[in-house]
Order: sequence, then C-alpha cells, then structure tokens
Amino acid sequence: MTTFARSPFSIITIFACFCAFFLITPLSAQDKKKEINIPPPPSVQADVSKVEFDAIVRIEVEVENRNYRVPWNIGGLGSGVGTGFLIGKNRFLTNAHVVSNRRLIYIKKMDRPEPYKARVLFAAHDCDLALLELEDPTPFENVKPLKFGGTPKLNTTVIAVGYPIGGERISVTRGVVSRIDFRPYTHSGVDFHLTIQVDAAINPGNSGGPVLQDNKVVGVAFQGYSGSTAQNTAYMIPVPVINRFLKDVDDGVYDYYVDMATQTINLLNPAQRLALGLKNDGKGVMVTIADKAGSAGGVLKTGDVLLSIDGYDIASDGFVTIDGERINLNEIVERKFVGDTVTLKILRDHKEQEIKVELQRFIPYLIQANHYDKKPNFVLFAGLQFQPLDRELMSSFGIGNLKARYVYSYFSREELYIERPEPVILTAVLPDSVNTHLQPYTKQIVDEVNGKKIHTLQDVHDALNGDAHEEGQENYHVIRLLGEGRPLVMERAKAQAAHKRIMNKYNVGYDHFIEKPLILESKALAKAREKAEKK
Amino acid sequence: MHKYSLTYLLTSLLLVTHFSPILHAKDDKAAKKTPKIAVEIVPSPSSSLVRINATLQRYNFIRPWEKGAPTPRRGLGAFITGKRVLTTAELVENSTYIELELTGTGEKTPAKIVGLDYEANLALLEPIDAKSKILDKLVPLKLDDTVVAGDNLEIWQVEDNGNSVTTDVKVLRVAVGNYFIPGSQLLTYQVKGSLQYHANSFTLPVVKDGNLAGLLLSYSSKEQTSNLLPSSIIKHFLDDLKDGDYKGFPNLGLGYAQTLDEQLRKFTQISDKKGGVFVRRVIDDSSAGKGGVKEGDIIMSINGHNIDSRGNYIDEKYGKINFSHLVRGSSNVGDKVKMHIIRDGKAIDLEFALLRKKPSDYLVDPYMFDRGPRFMILGGLIFQELTLPYLKFWGDKWPTRGPLNLVHAQANPEPYEKEGRKKIVFLSQVVKTPATIGYEGFGSIIITQVNGQKINAIGDLAEAFKKPNAQGLHKIEFEDHPKVIYLDARMALAINQQLSKYGISQLQNLK
Repeated sequence: MTTFARSPFSIITIFACFCAFFLITPLSAQDKKKEINIPPPPSVQADVSKVEFDAIVRIEVEVENRNYRVPWNIGGLGSGVGTGFLIGKNRFLTNAHVVSNRRLIYIKKMDRPEPYKARVLFAAHDCDLALLELEDPTPFENVKPLKFGGTPKLNTTVIAVGYPIGGERISVTRGVVSRIDFRPYTHSGVDFHLTIQVDAAINPGNSGGPVLQDNKVVGVAFQGYSGSTAQNTAYMIPVPVINRFLKDVDDGVYDYYVDMATQTINLLNPAQRLALGLKNDGKGVMVTIADKAGSAGGVLKTGDVLLSIDGYDIASDGFVTIDGERINLNEIVERKFVGDTVTLKILRDHKEQEIKVELQRFIPYLIQANHYDKKPNFVLFAGLQFQPLDRELMSSFGIGNLKARYVYSYFSREELYIERPEPVILTAVLPDSVNTHLQPYTKQIVDEVNGKKIHTLQDVHDALNGDAHEEGQENYHVIRLLGEGRPLVMERAKAQAAHKRIMNKYNVGYDHFIEKPLILESKALAKAREKAEKK
Repeated sequence: MHKYSLTYLLTSLLLVTHFSPILHAKDDKAAKKTPKIAVEIVPSPSSSLVRINATLQRYNFIRPWEKGAPTPRRGLGAFITGKRVLTTAELVENSTYIELELTGTGEKTPAKIVGLDYEANLALLEPIDAKSKILDKLVPLKLDDTVVAGDNLEIWQVEDNGNSVTTDVKVLRVAVGNYFIPGSQLLTYQVKGSLQYHANSFTLPVVKDGNLAGLLLSYSSKEQTSNLLPSSIIKHFLDDLKDGDYKGFPNLGLGYAQTLDEQLRKFTQISDKKGGVFVRRVIDDSSAGKGGVKEGDIIMSINGHNIDSRGNYIDEKYGKINFSHLVRGSSNVGDKVKMHIIRDGKAIDLEFALLRKKPSDYLVDPYMFDRGPRFMILGGLIFQELTLPYLKFWGDKWPTRGPLNLVHAQANPEPYEKEGRKKIVFLSQVVKTPATIGYEGFGSIIITQVNGQKINAIGDLAEAFKKPNAQGLHKIEFEDHPKVIYLDARMALAINQQLSKYGISQLQNLK
C-alpha cells in the first residue's frame, strides 16, 4: 500500500519504536559491528583538519513546557543542548526540535566561553529544521559558513560533528551511509520525508549538527532508533529536504509541505488490473480515498488509476524512476511548494485523461501531530474546563472515551472535520457546589452548548457568555455531550456567581485563551463545509 | 470458616457400614425413623449433590475454522425434583461432553442439557439414557423462597472421598448484580464467610434449612464474600422451562442517570416531586423503545412502585433494590408493565409489554456459545460476522486494543441498523495466495457490497459470490481503504480446494 498522504494509522504504530528526540532520549549506541561481505568503505573524509569547526556551534536552550492539564499555568521550565552550524551570513541551521518551546536561546562558539543570544527566524516542525540568527552577528563575522554537498552514496564514510552528551567539547564520530529511504519524522509525529540512515554514533546533543563528507554538509543529524531491535542506526535530514526548506523561507514566510492527501493501493493483483482495464505492464496505482479537504479533493475519485506524475511513469508499487533511481512517487510532490501543480495521467472508467492538481498544505492531519511554540487553548466556565482535541490532550488526560478516540483517529479519514473542525472536549471539572454532579461526565466531546452546535472552542466561549439558550430554558446553561443523553445543566445565576469563586479558589489567572484554529484557513475545507451545509 | 459437620460425618460412616448405600445420607434423627421416610426428608451434600464433569472446547475467532484445546471442568449440581440436576450455565458452556457422577460411589452417566440460559447463568441436566437409575438414589432438593438479608445459609460441598462439607455464610444484602454475561444483571445475594474449595470448581449449591437457596456465582477470598444466584431466579428459570418453550428474562432496553442533581431536577421540572431517574438512552427495538419511552423522560414509578433518584425501589421482600428487578428478574416475557413518567413537565402513563431481545437480535451479538463464528473463506480472503466475542479475542483491553472501527460499530450500531443491516460482515484477514497478491495486510474492514449486492449478513455474502461479473471477477467493496478490490472467481475456487487439502477443516460456517 502506498500512501500518498501521511496515513495517520501506520504512523502511530511505526512511531512506537522510535525514540522521541535526541535531546531527551538517549540512544543505545552499542558498537557491535557486523561482518558484511562488502569491501571496506572508501575513506572519503580522512582529514578532519579541513573542517571549519568554528562554524559548528553549541546551542543552549531554555525551554518552557506547556501544561495541558492546568492550561492557565506557565508549565515547567527546563533546558537542553543541541548543535547548529553557520550556513550563511548570520544564519544558523539546526533542528526545529532543538529550539521548540524555547524561552531563550544562546549560541556558543567552539573555543569561546561567552554565550551569544540568538533568536528563531523560522521553525519548520514538519521537517524538523530551524533557522536562527544572532542578535549581534559580530562574533561570527570572520567565520566561513559550511557548504552543502549532495546526496552521499551508499557505503561511503561520513562524519558527524556536534556537542553530544558525554562532555562539553566538540565531538566527531564516523560512520557509513547505510540506507536512503522515506521515513517518519518523529518531531511532528505525522510527517514522512526522505532520510539517510548512517551507522555513526549519533547521540542526544548531536541534534541539528552537520554530517559531513568531503568537508561538505550532506545532512543534519536529527533522530535515532531506540530499543533492542536495531543498533547503530541514526538518521539525518538529507540535502534535498534542507534545500526545500531554505527555498521555502526565501520569501520570508514558511509555507510548509504540500500534500496530495490521497491514499492509493498497489496494483499487483491480476484480477484488480483486469477489472480496471490495465495491461500487465507493471504500471499504475489505484486511488482509494482522496481527502475532500486535500489538494486532490473533488479532483481524484476512488478507482482512478494514477499512470504517471509529471511525465514519470508510476510503477504498480508506487515508485517512479528518475535518473535511474527508483523513488517513492511522494517525492515528486514533496519537492514542490504551495500553489505548484502536478500533472497526472489517470485512467478513469477505462479512459485515459490528464489532470492537474494544485498543491496545498493538508491541515486536518495535524490533530494527531505534536504541537510546539503554542500556548494551550482553553475555556473555563464555572469550573468546567473545555479544550480542543489534539494529540497532547489525548495523552495528557489519557482520554479513553470511545467517541473521542474515534473522532481523533478518524478525523481526517472520515472527514469528521467538516462537521467539527475543532472538536472540543470537556476535559475536567474543578469541583464546586455548582458542578459537583457533573464530575462523571468529563473527557467527552461537547456537541452543543445552549442550543448552539459546537464547531470550535470559540463557539463554546460565545455560547456560554452570551444570551444563547435552549428553547424555553432562559434560566439554564445546557451542555450536551456527543453520545450522552443526560444534559449537563447549571442555573445561570448560580454559574455566574460560581465562576469568580472558582477562579479564586483554584488560582486561575484568566478564564480562556482561544486562537483561531489553523484548519479554518483551509480553502478546500471551507468549500467542503459549504457543500455539506447545502445538503 | 467452613466446618465439617462432625456428627454427620460419623453417623454417615456408621450408616454406610451397616446399611445399604441408599441410606448413607441420614443423620442421627433420620436413622431412628424408617429409612424410606428419612430419604425423603433430609437432604445433605452427599445425598443431594451430583458432581458434573464437563469438557469444554471454545471456538477460535481468529482462525474461525478451528476449535481450541478441550478443557475439563468440574462442578457440583443440585439434584432437584423431576430427576434433574441444576447447575450454572458457565460450567457447561461450549461443552462437547457432560457426565454426571455420584459423589459417593463415583458412578457416572453421560448427560444432556435440557434447559439453558446464559444470561441467568443456569443449566438443567439429565442423563442421556432415560433408563439410567443412578440418580434414583438421591434426595431431591426443594427450592427455598424465604431468604432475606441477615439469614444464615450453608454452602454445600463434597470432598473427593464423598464426605460432605458445609460452610456457614451470612447474607449481607440482596441486590441486583453482575452475572456471567457482562451487562446481564439480575438479583444476587451477597454473603460473608470464608470458603475453601474442595476438589470442585466454582459452582456450588447453597442451602437454607435443607432447601436450595441458590448457587454460588463468585467468591472473593480477599473480601471473604460471595455472590449467589438466588432461588427466585432459579424458580423463574424452572417455571419458564415447563411448557417446553423457554422465553428467558425480559429486558427493558434503556439506560438511565440518577437525579440527585438539584439543578437537573429543576431543569426537568421534577423538583417538587420525589425520586425518579433520567432516561439517557433508549434502544429503538427494545421493550422501552416500542413502549414509547423517550430519551429525556423521567421514570417516576413502575407498576406502582416509586423509583428513588438513585434508581431503587422498596421491594416487599428484599427491601431497597434496583428497579431492574421489577422489569427483569421478577417479570416474564410478555408481561405488561406500567410506567409513570414525566416528560417536559407533564405526567404520562405508559403501559407496554416486556420483550426480550435475544443475542442474535443485536447487530453485534453480545455473547455467543455452543456455535462457532460465522465465516467464509474465498481464495484466501477471510470474511466474518462481527460479534462481541470476536472483539474480546483482543484480550481484557479489547475496547482500546481491538480495531477501533469495529469497536466503534459495536458501541454505535444505529447507523448500520438504519441501513438495513442485520449483522456486520467484515474482512478479518488475508491469507497470501495467488488470488490475493497485493492484498496482504488488509484486515478488520467492514464490507458494504459484493458484486453490487448489499451485504447485510454473512448469508448475503455466499449468495453474492455466486454471481461474478462477465470477466469472471468478484468485486468487493469496503467502507474504508482500500474501498474496492477484485478477486478472480475461478482461481479463488481452485485455491479453496487447495486450502481444504492444506488442512483447513471448514471453509465456511454460515449457520
């Protein structure tokens, strides 16, 4: 099965075996080299004296973690160390995960004691890259930036340079390129891009550091593999992904990756091929689901056969051949930007057609992504705590309610975002006499408040703080949960009086923080919702 | 603490030595009377209990053509009038062979089930050989109908050597509680007293003044408490069996919430009244659904009994117990029930018949015994009908570990029922064969259509597969990814033959 989109299901299972980040989870870096019948790798990088070590910096970050359970609190403070490197005038590249949720960032030169204050220009959480600058660029005025190379060949030597655990000073480790593949990026938890696997010892703190070959950067060290099933596996972000990021931010805005948001199956089965009217030529994959809010929504249909993309024939396992290399067809889309198009040759009802798809970012899948640099959104009303459903919420509250799990897992697949772009959960009740009987009803999806259907967290706030009421029930606030017949009822006057009391008692500084959900900016979603409303 | 009845032991030994085995059940008092009468009057563990040896073999829901390893199970049954033996359904579930064994002599005879109710956890057995005389030596137990909280009862057991063991327990409370089938609740006695098992499994008769008061359902060694299945439920079961048309216990088909919340009481306009429960959910085709009960109604009284805001009423005999006893444990299928409700502030009186929704009437069977899962294999694709036991194959944590789409369908059957489905048919897994190349890894996906026909039950599947298209292909459509796949009809049949040879004993079970 090829997934054109970032299939949410396979991702979660795959991720279970990954370590979270280099910064946090140490890798098991046992050095058991297996014997293989391949001649020893050519030593491409024998002389490290030519490496511009001054350009490779230690990044010290003070972080502020968010507290989803008590969203009005600041959350815990912590710190971390990563690596970065100078790539141009006052431009440092590192991983997004190194600078996520930062309060302060300092950059240190290899041979100088003083920290230099830095700030983030762009943080691309979908490809785990970030660009930093110093507030005062003078200390690096005479340092030569590192240069980028290409994609290294398999079984060639690379060196990783950085500031990993085990000491304060710079470290150099060596390994060979083991594999080049499409893999999940654990930082966001939902994205797949090209990665290069190396067997160098890369450890927490190496994150964001350059991997070099022939004095040129061939990747950014970023994640590893933990557990006992694999050893000597570390991954770096390869140059095509880095270049795409740098090109994207060139105009001053990061627009994120685009996505077809289309699922396909391989066409290896002779019966399937016969039914679709295909020759036995090993070409084509079949569209199963083209997400309505995705680039191909309304363009591709179930049963369409994708024959070629931008002129490259698609093999029946979802690969295309470019310059003699077989690559996943996703990569064609991967390298494009918002607003670009792909040209597809398809077979629909046994007739060939050519269609163009304008590429957009796909937002609904972000419900299952890790979020960073964001304050938790919430509404607190008379002790009832409402929060939007997302990955952080599911794990912080350990939500087991079946409806909530279903909406979370099938949000994009079943297009549930059309009805509920930002599902809201009643996460907790701060006990008080006004709400004491409502305790058992937490961790469920809020369907209606005071007769208003809840599409977003803002709706909850508006419905509770206005005149909205159910017919004939002016004196009550009525909250209805999805799949629960018993309404949650509070007398308005009592709730009003309790609200301030509860905020004081529980030391709540402010009673709501609401941002417009990103998903409402999706044009495709707006169209799909309009259509659904007409029905 | 359990205790041996010492006097009883001694006398029974003496008696066995001096008299015929028929009389071995008598105690001092009885011995002085004529043997004939003594047998009638004084039952005891060794004279009125029968050991039951069952062999059970469960079905495998992942490989539906297989049955698991045969497992032996032992328990005790109570000999009752009509020369039958009463025990729990749990003891004989999925049984392949049952035999009755006399506790004293060890004589055995094969037995059959003549009455069975898994919801009430009761089974009635009798020898297959109608001429078998081995039970003739036993003293039948009569049913007690006097137990209330505070009473002392005896749990009866028999040791391997045939000796009687009785354990005194005290009834703490009578309440509606859990039975063998999750979700099936009926009356229970909760009793206190330490218990030791003597060479038997869990099923043990419980006696008050020589009459059968119930059967042991469960025992907690930590709390030293047991739950008993009371005689009133046994009586209901036995009475129901009399006419040869067993109907079982009715179910109401609604879920309720307590109304202790003053604000909810005001909102539902019952603050000037006492008690009542809030109807949270009504199953459409249930007694309550057909009887006109609606979500949001407040049930104030049933058959003249006031329901308090926790859902209890005052039973004449047992005191405060849950109202479900009124409409289930103490009612028969077909009985009329009167309900006084408040809807939107207005009082309404409903009267409707109590029905029973059988497990097979549900979209997803809540339990299933004595038959294998319904399935069909074609060319390496394995199709099944969804049942709760299938989901439970994922272990105790099946609600989170089982396939989410199937778990969700089980909990939310309404949309499927509205489509006209009787059952959910799904592709459970794919065995790699030449016909299923490219389909590896598909599984747990609900089927919508095959060859253009809607699939509402597994029987539809078999019918639909008789009609491949002009190209000789079957078209199979799913609710979710991969949406549609095709199967070569001729190749699939050929592969089915190979699978038979390979050792898959059965390629389908549609019954």
